[in-house]
Amino acid sequence: MAEPIITFKNVSKTYILYKNDQARFKALFIKPRNPKTNKALNNVSFEIYRGESVGIVGNNGAGKSTLLKMITGVAFPDEGDIIVNGKVAALLELTAGFSLEMTGRENIYLKGYILGLEDNYIKEIEEKIIDFAQLGDYIDQPVRTYSSGMKMRLGFAINVNIEPDVLVVDEALSVGDASFKRKCKDKIKDIMQKGTTVLYVSHNADSVKEICPRAIYLKKGTIIHDGPTAETLEIYNADKQSQKSNKK
Amino acid sequence: MFTSILKEHKGFGKQILLLAKNELIKTYKGAVIGPFWAVVKPAFTVFVYWFAFSVGIKALKAVNVHLNGMEYEAFSFDFFTFMFIGIIPWFFIQDSIVQGAKTLRINRQFITKVKFPVSTILTYTGLSRLFVHLFLVIIMYAYVIFYRVSHGMMPVSWYDLQFFFYCPLLFFFFLALSWSTAPMSAFSKDFESLIVSVMSGIFWLSGIMYDSYSFTGGLKWAMLFNPINFFANGYRNTFLYNRGFWVYKTELVIFAAELIGVTLLGIYNYNRLRKKLPDVL
Repeated sequence: MAEPIITFKNVSKTYILYKNDQARFKALFIKPRNPKTNKALNNVSFEIYRGESVGIVGNNGAGKSTLLKMITGVAFPDEGDIIVNGKVAALLELTAGFSLEMTGRENIYLKGYILGLEDNYIKEIEEKIIDFAQLGDYIDQPVRTYSSGMKMRLGFAINVNIEPDVLVVDEALSVGDASFKRKCKDKIKDIMQKGTTVLYVSHNADSVKEICPRAIYLKKGTIIHDGPTAETLEIYNADKQSQKSNKK
Repeated sequence: MFTSILKEHKGFGKQILLLAKNELIKTYKGAVIGPFWAVVKPAFTVFVYWFAFSVGIKALKAVNVHLNGMEYEAFSFDFFTFMFIGIIPWFFIQDSIVQGAKTLRINRQFITKVKFPVSTILTYTGLSRLFVHLFLVIIMYAYVIFYRVSHGMMPVSWYDLQFFFYCPLLFFFFLALSWSTAPMSAFSKDFESLIVSVMSGIFWLSGIMYDSYSFTGGLKWAMLFNPINFFANGYRNTFLYNRGFWVYKTELVIFAAELIGVTLLGIYNYNRLRKKLPDVL
């Protein structure tokens, strides 16, 4: 097969839990001895190829968010290597990351520059984004004045229209009213058909089955299973059941 | 490691200017006289100090400056003029240190939510402060011209051009300082509080209201190691003393060493803490 678009090689990430603020202050100057830690990811390795759609399932605290943050370049691993070849668009926290005093239009450029796009290219997709976000004249108003729905629409429109190589989608995403939601779903499907790599995070087994042929099951920072979705979900559900019966 | 900060700035210049502009708008919008607050606050501070020292205490009408060391005769300058020229860089320094340390915490949405060239946050907020500083310098320069004419001097001097030596250094020095202080403050709020609480003390320990050259022995040396003195004296070299920046070589060399030290330390601290920032903010 071709070169993988996302490679995780023995990636580990540990959050240090400081006892209190003094400990945190001290850690600035001296390395803390035997601190309490939370291993969010433990020796995680996988490869994802261009055009694949991969679902990531797991309970709360399994390390899904940490994993996605690393793919989008927000967080960094303590150990191991992550290679991402291409533009990543994340449909995670759409209302965050805007410069509030800038207009919607200026924010499109800001986002574009962060992703390393050229002026000409941004100009090309600018109209598409504005059109998709249905902001009308608001596009030249500061983002500060937007309603949360408008911010979300703009965030979504920017992310899907930059023609990403990797699209990260959280199922819990909410993007305003029903008609816009439908539009978003159609757009995501459209992107997938174009051969974009999609990472889909969900608690909901059915929606994963619908979209992704391959799935990864994360539990407490470790990959329990990585394979065809049906197989992974079987293990995931069985695990869930046994946990439930244990509790009883 | 040395190029990581440079790399983050590459190709981002236009955005930095735009973000700096917006930072200014954010600071002053919503107030009736808006940008004039940038002038009102410093003007009031200058007035208060002048009133306290020249009118209240009545002791300070003139300052004697020993430009060539204690063994030579002193030059006498009007206190208000002396203080005014020295306090203008101080306003910038104070804002740079205090705001610079808080910047990353305030702009955390750019660190924890999206991928962003984090060190440019320090640059654009610093630039927005520089705009305010330049505005104040223009007002100060107008006063300097008035002062010179009223004392029978030429209104402008070649030495004025030294501003373009001191001002970029001023900007860069405190930018490099924030590479250390901003990530550390983001990490620990105690560090931020520490910085804020020592600031007013630092003002009185620096030669803003008095002449930092007017000491002897160990204290004279101690004063040379305070970079704030370098800038206060530098602005006075430029606008008041008619003295070249190269004249006092010891001061220049000590500052250059500090500049290199602060820059290296800043690069080290920024790289050390950059990847941990999203976890702690």
